[in-house]
Amino acid sequence: MSGKLNRRDFLKALGLGGTATLAGCDMPTTVTLEEGKEDVVSYLLPEEYVIPGVGVTYASTCTQCNAGCGVHGRVREGRVLKVEGHPDSPINAGKTCQMGQALVQAHYNPDRIKSPMVREGGSLVPATWEKAQALLDEKLGSKANLAAGRVAWLTGTVSGHQRALITNHLESVGSNHHFAVEVVNTNVWSAVSRDMLDDPQPQISLDKAKLILSFGADFMGTWQSPVHFAGQFSRMRTAADRGALIQVESKMSMTGGSADLWVAIRPGTEGILALGLANYLIANGVSSASLPGDARDKLAAYDMQKVSNATGVSTATIERIGKALKNRAPSVVLAGAAVEGQVNGYEAVSAIMLLNVMLGNIGQTILPSGKFPLQQLEAKVGGTRDLAAFAQAAAQKQFDVVLVHGANPVFTAPASLKLDEALASVPFKVVMTQFPDETAMMADLVLPVSSTLEDWGTHVAAYQAGASNISIQQPLMEPLYDQTRGFGDIVISMLAMRNAAQYGSFKDYYGYLRNVFANLKGAGATASLSPDEFWNNSLQAGMIKIDSTPRKHTVKASIAAIDAPAADANFPLTLIPSARMGLFDGRHANLPWLQESPDQIAKVVWGSWAEIHPSTASKMGITHGDVIRIESEAGGIEARAYLTNTVHADAIAVPLGQGHTEYGRYAKGRGVNPLKIVKAAVDAKTGELALFATRVKVSKTNKNEIILRLGHSDTQHGRRLVRTVSVDALKRTKGA
Amino acid sequence: MVQWIRTRMFRKYAHGAFHPVSLGVALILAWSMMTSTGFAADVQPPGGVHKGVDVEQPIEFPHNIHVEVNKINCMYCHTYARRSKVAGIPPTSKCMGCHKIIATDKPRIQKLTEYWQKGESPKWKKVHDVPDFVHFTHERHLKKFVFDRDYPVEDVKEVCAFCHGQIKEMTVAKKVKPLNMGWCAGCHEKNGGPGDCWKCHK
Amino acid sequence: MSLKNVMENWSAYRKDAEAGGHHTYEHRWAMSINLDLCIGCNACSTACYAENNLAVVGPERFAKGQAMHWMRIERYWDVEDKEYPDQGASFLPMMCQQCGAATCEPVCPVAATYHTPDGLNAQVYNRCIGSRYCSNNCPFRVRYFNFYSYYESAWPEPMHLQLNPDLSVRDKGVMEKCTFCVQRIRVAKDKAKIENRKVKDGEFTTACAQACPTSAIVFGDTMDPESKVSMLWKQHQVTRAVYKQHKEDPELRGYRIFEELNVDPSVMYLERVRDTTV
Repeated sequence: MSGKLNRRDFLKALGLGGTATLAGCDMPTTVTLEEGKEDVVSYLLPEEYVIPGVGVTYASTCTQCNAGCGVHGRVREGRVLKVEGHPDSPINAGKTCQMGQALVQAHYNPDRIKSPMVREGGSLVPATWEKAQALLDEKLGSKANLAAGRVAWLTGTVSGHQRALITNHLESVGSNHHFAVEVVNTNVWSAVSRDMLDDPQPQISLDKAKLILSFGADFMGTWQSPVHFAGQFSRMRTAADRGALIQVESKMSMTGGSADLWVAIRPGTEGILALGLANYLIANGVSSASLPGDARDKLAAYDMQKVSNATGVSTATIERIGKALKNRAPSVVLAGAAVEGQVNGYEAVSAIMLLNVMLGNIGQTILPSGKFPLQQLEAKVGGTRDLAAFAQAAAQKQFDVVLVHGANPVFTAPASLKLDEALASVPFKVVMTQFPDETAMMADLVLPVSSTLEDWGTHVAAYQAGASNISIQQPLMEPLYDQTRGFGDIVISMLAMRNAAQYGSFKDYYGYLRNVFANLKGAGATASLSPDEFWNNSLQAGMIKIDSTPRKHTVKASIAAIDAPAADANFPLTLIPSARMGLFDGRHANLPWLQESPDQIAKVVWGSWAEIHPSTASKMGITHGDVIRIESEAGGIEARAYLTNTVHADAIAVPLGQGHTEYGRYAKGRGVNPLKIVKAAVDAKTGELALFATRVKVSKTNKNEIILRLGHSDTQHGRRLVRTVSVDALKRTKGA
Repeated sequence: MVQWIRTRMFRKYAHGAFHPVSLGVALILAWSMMTSTGFAADVQPPGGVHKGVDVEQPIEFPHNIHVEVNKINCMYCHTYARRSKVAGIPPTSKCMGCHKIIATDKPRIQKLTEYWQKGESPKWKKVHDVPDFVHFTHERHLKKFVFDRDYPVEDVKEVCAFCHGQIKEMTVAKKVKPLNMGWCAGCHEKNGGPGDCWKCHK
Repeated sequence: MSLKNVMENWSAYRKDAEAGGHHTYEHRWAMSINLDLCIGCNACSTACYAENNLAVVGPERFAKGQAMHWMRIERYWDVEDKEYPDQGASFLPMMCQQCGAATCEPVCPVAATYHTPDGLNAQVYNRCIGSRYCSNNCPFRVRYFNFYSYYESAWPEPMHLQLNPDLSVRDKGVMEKCTFCVQRIRVAKDKAKIENRKVKDGEFTTACAQACPTSAIVFGDTMDPESKVSMLWKQHQVTRAVYKQHKEDPELRGYRIFEELNVDPSVMYLERVRDTTV
């Protein structure tokens, strides 16, 4: 009967080994049952609702992508343990994606920058905040000699009061250069929607659709608001009359994996198929009344055989899709990144939107969005046009100071843009980041920012699902490191340097937000609340409802001819730099959960691979695991060949995410970044980069390596683990 | 041997929590305990002793003065015990609630006040601990042995003493019960506590 | 010894299971997973890592099949000889099926894995001696062995602060697997008992079900006839403790994987649907 219960002291740790623990016996410690060895520290002052050993939930907003999902963080003994979806969020309704689940890993990441860094003698060395602030003051403060337009901000998609502050800061330094860069975006879709419907972000109602025809829109993985659309998709599938999904793409996306009919299409010809379908529909009795007068004639050129030849989709399949579109109303037709990322991306997306117009989907499954009344808080939506525009402007030495936040352009920019060289030529580069990413490594001053779970913020998602909201991000725990600062705090301090009269009185971003929230208090139910009540209610809810004025859709359809990408004998294949839920555009490559989480379709972990169709591979004598060299006019990369028929025979897909040369222990030196060899062609109408239009050639090296993936069998060997039934059976059992 | 482990485990669920033999033993024990502690026959406090070491704490907290002399309820300070799995160390503000005024001339209180003025909490040394792989909840035990039985809450220290010994007689707490698995399981068996491994092993 | 144990107990064990089980159950936690809704997105799997202190093993160990994903999404293709997979992929979320007559249990030489009165296959880490018999005997391959002391490398500071204190971090030599988030079950049951009531359906759920963006996973207690999962099992005429379902309507989509092995899984899958008429 001694105290030696630790016979099995292998159950070493719940963490925190040996250090002081907070208020209770239930904190993770090294297993020791010896009395008097471990410290317990009580609270100095208790919070009424905080009970040691019991989790407290706080509402906040996820920032892993730009969808703006509401989250609930579970906090115990002062630590965030897990995030779940916010049940009341109109965006994600209590659900999360895997990137959201990994939000805590971005917070607890061991590779976070823990103090400011200043470039001295060519290398970045740790510095104090006093020094960093002094440097900022020297370059951007009231005494700084700044000519008009010499300061630029380079961010990702940014909204809410962070965006307002950036705008104000630019104003205070006499500039208006705000570049927002995102590789994963839907900007061409938005441009087409704006031009054809007078609504840049129409609301999609997949749950009302009986048929989704998606041209490469990975709407449950990377498109606009994935968790929201997954919820809608679920309702469509479980409706009394189950809706179907037809996915047309050159490389199977995660969403494509759930298709009832998956159609492989020659890269860059989606627009042609859309016009062919429009032609088919008119020929088969669908009214062309909503189309321009010359529509019939223009479309007649896209007869089935011609379209089939161009797209590689059989006439039977085209007819099948056409019939489905005609017979199942309402439908919804979507266009994704591979359609947008062409030199005629705008026209191709227009052709796809045209189908929605013809089929009467506008007003049925494509609904007007609300016009967000607070323009200064609206999302500044990032794109690749700004990536090119920034590279160009910086190369022309237009900027003295560049401030970077929420973007890693050195990683995402194609090498042909020479963005790294352009950035290097900027005299003073400030990067505000959590991690030592590629862009931070080029900075003159690196400011370590708080993680999402430590910081204040407000967010207005570009795609406002359901109702218009400002989502609130609040700190769920004390900062892990005392030398990090909130992003808002940094901007407020910079604003105070220029405009002390207006901003000097704010101690920090929190103080600023408390102040501006008083003005957000609307009419109706919130009108009678005191500012404190309104603030507390808003934090508890995690969002503020904003009354928006509904837009009206006025259809202005147009039809432009679409040519297939020209064949190129020297570069026979098209490169598909596909993004996926998980590592996304590479921003999550430093999160080990997501590195070890398999690609949804290829099931590969921890590295890069190149998906190539077996028929293409066999022509070149390539076998699974062969290291192949993929070369475009802009450069070359090497990756292991993954033979799969989920990619079109004329394409080669190299997923985004890997190829980091910096970015911490989990990301650095792993795999390749296909964006680097993308040719800098642009979509003529929108200026967005044509990321999916690069032609490549493939050659073998003499290496063959194992591709790491989950499971080694692609088939069920007749075991019927996943059983499939036809929709007829489902109908007979009344949808059960 | 293996056979024994298996059948014993399964039988426990099949035939309820009490083994006929242990039930008999329990009744005898219950009777004997009743005479000494005043508990009704439905509760069998665990036996067993542990020779704990004297733990040096940052402040030599006199449990005896608080409990025996001033008649303060355990749960006044260890307020989380009935609401959480952990009993918790009281927040320093709670100490100061009284000791801003009471006994301010005593060295221990002066030391406490120093901590308070520095805005720090003392680093207490943990005395009673169960391994990390054990799920133990104060809340359920208090519910069962105090609230469900309408046991006078003012006497809760007698229930606390099941596992913590006569803290009321100690200055700083000392571990005097084994708090190991056999000891826990013995009490569970006697008092109809759960016998499922996963109830406590996490 | 273990062989003797298996031989002596096997038939009685099986018969018990067929007769409705040999336990007086308090709960029977179960799931229903609608494969028509599963989009293979991995949200469940990552949620499981977050909830259950699963170690990230890194590429070298992953290559040896030592990954610790309690919940994994398997992906299969329907037909091999087509030019393209025109019906998409088949996704299968696979985790411990909490079998009513589990093949892992009787082979454990030290009773580290056993059946709980909640109908779960418990794994008691302290008892486990790492024989790995259970894992080798599991038809679902859902038991994961700690070949290394992952706590030494998987949670570099400050990542260890994220570890869930409601369950252990396992060390070398111990088997682990999906527990149906037993730590959440424990909390819910404690809470219900304190409030003198039964556990309510939906008052808690597993991490995977909570995250699932399409709500494909439904978790609950099949002993509660009003629970969502009970209704689903009933609706699909899937019953426990049989190795072959006798449905009035054989077209109902509910089925249990490897039911024919008479393991009595607690997870019902609903068949994937493909609309071949589009």
